Amino acid sequence: MAAIEVTNLVKRFATKGRGRRSLVEAVSGITFSVEDGERLAYIGPNGAGKSTSIKMLTGILRPTEGHATVLGYIPWSERRKLVRHIGTLFGQRSQLWAQLTARQTFWLLARIYRLDDRDAARRIEELGELLEATTLFDVPVKSLSLGQRMRCELTASQLHSPRVLFLDEPTIGLDLVAKQRFREMIVRLNEERNTTVFLTSHDVSDIEYVARRVIVINHGRIIYDDDVSSMRRSLLRTKLLEVRFEEAPRALSIDSVEVLKHSGLGYKLVVHTNQRSIRSVLDELLDDYSVADISVLDPPLEEIITEIYEAPQR
Amino acid sequence: MTRTPYWAAFTDGIRRTMAAPAELAVRIGFFAVILVVFSSLWRAATQANGGMIQGYGYRELLWYVIAAEGCVIATKPRLIEEIGDDIGSGDIAIDMLRPVSVVGFRMAAEMGEAVVRLVCALSLGAVFGLVSVGAPPSLEGLLAALPAALLAVGCNLTMQYSFAAAAFWVEDAKSTWFLYQKLIFLLGGMLLPLELLPGWLAGIARLLPFWTTAYVPARLMSGHAEWHLLIVQLGWLIVLVAAALAAFRAGERRLVVTGG
Repeated sequence: MAAIEVTNLVKRFATKGRGRRSLVEAVSGITFSVEDGERLAYIGPNGAGKSTSIKMLTGILRPTEGHATVLGYIPWSERRKLVRHIGTLFGQRSQLWAQLTARQTFWLLARIYRLDDRDAARRIEELGELLEATTLFDVPVKSLSLGQRMRCELTASQLHSPRVLFLDEPTIGLDLVAKQRFREMIVRLNEERNTTVFLTSHDVSDIEYVARRVIVINHGRIIYDDDVSSMRRSLLRTKLLEVRFEEAPRALSIDSVEVLKHSGLGYKLVVHTNQRSIRSVLDELLDDYSVADISVLDPPLEEIITEIYEAPQR
Repeated sequence: MTRTPYWAAFTDGIRRTMAAPAELAVRIGFFAVILVVFSSLWRAATQANGGMIQGYGYRELLWYVIAAEGCVIATKPRLIEEIGDDIGSGDIAIDMLRPVSVVGFRMAAEMGEAVVRLVCALSLGAVFGLVSVGAPPSLEGLLAALPAALLAVGCNLTMQYSFAAAAFWVEDAKSTWFLYQKLIFLLGGMLLPLELLPGWLAGIARLLPFWTTAYVPARLMSGHAEWHLLIVQLGWLIVLVAAALAAFRAGERRLVVTGG
């Protein structure tokens, strides 16, 4: 069953410049669906239309044209019903009350979602254990570090057991350790509770660790939609070779291969696989040079995504 | 049994205000200064006018000031600006992602905060009044003034929400707090009773909702047990709540939030 269905969604904003009003199309007719329990990364460069899309899907913004349902609800006209079943986490906007402790906020949220006292207490404890955040709950929110606050934000977003979790740049500003921990928690929530995850992020590692599927949006249009692993495979026009020679080669000259860098006997090579197969390059290397060790690597996902962003628009 | 979200917001507002005693003390301290200044002013004014101005003696005027200033000081002076900022920055979106009325939930919390400040201000004012001029002029007026003070705070809050909703349409709407404050000063009867205004201006003031925020409880407190004023206040409160809800409902439909 599809958790999210989007058909030809368009959003235009009126802007004022030099005293004249004009319309800017932030989202230009996007169509996609997200299955229950999927982990989707919805990515794109700044101003691509990611946040506008997420705000339409959560009912904050009304689209100019098109249709969408989230868990069967039309977000902008049935927002109050929908928000009982979704969780949201915006990296740049806090949903916690700064003057309260996280626990006091959770209890206020429990009232908002009309949870039973016993259920609320149980959920708070369960989530505290799951997200390893119980010790943070009695600290005033304003005294928490960003990483600690985000764990509390995630707890707050999960209190009412949402079926879909919308995350808008959730790891922004976190250090490496906190980011990794946060990603693990999202995956855990998905695996243990089958929560559908809709993630926007600029951080390629968020996509690598969290998402199984990726939609790339640019200039308001979807320009790519596939599994993360398929994206790697279909867009790879290069492979990286890390080679250690037994003795330094006098001159390394192989067709369709560039030397990226080398030091001593170790070489990093780029193979243009659209010109020549990796197998024939390996054969030539092994036949003509004394190779001690060799490994074949994919280029980083970041490069692949940059390539998608920079591809000419259809 | 679960408490409703609005009751939870109200009690949370009370708790939050009590948890910041320094902020409360500053505001009540400012109220005390106003009382001292106005009591001197009205004493001099009544003495210069043979002890009475438009039916108000010094005692009546002092109790008038206590109620009028107490009700206004109980609400945030720049609430319009605060709400306007939240609308302009898009932070209001977080409130919209909760299954409650944005205005209802926020106003319940503000009412909780205001009630604490109102109780503190009126308590201090009562001590000041008792020491300076003795008990309020009429027990019946006092009994009517207490619910009127709560209604006054409610009217003030809802009116500020209605004003602030303009931020959904106009970029610089938050600055209307300055105009609003002046309207409360003059047409709301905060600075002086409406009877002291020119007749035409007092007539206009009685047609507008501002007088519900200060004049009504102050008029009752000053010994005029005019119970019908409570009905007027209640009527305006209903109108203002409906206006604030309608303005926010319309505003939320055209909210513009760009970026993260």
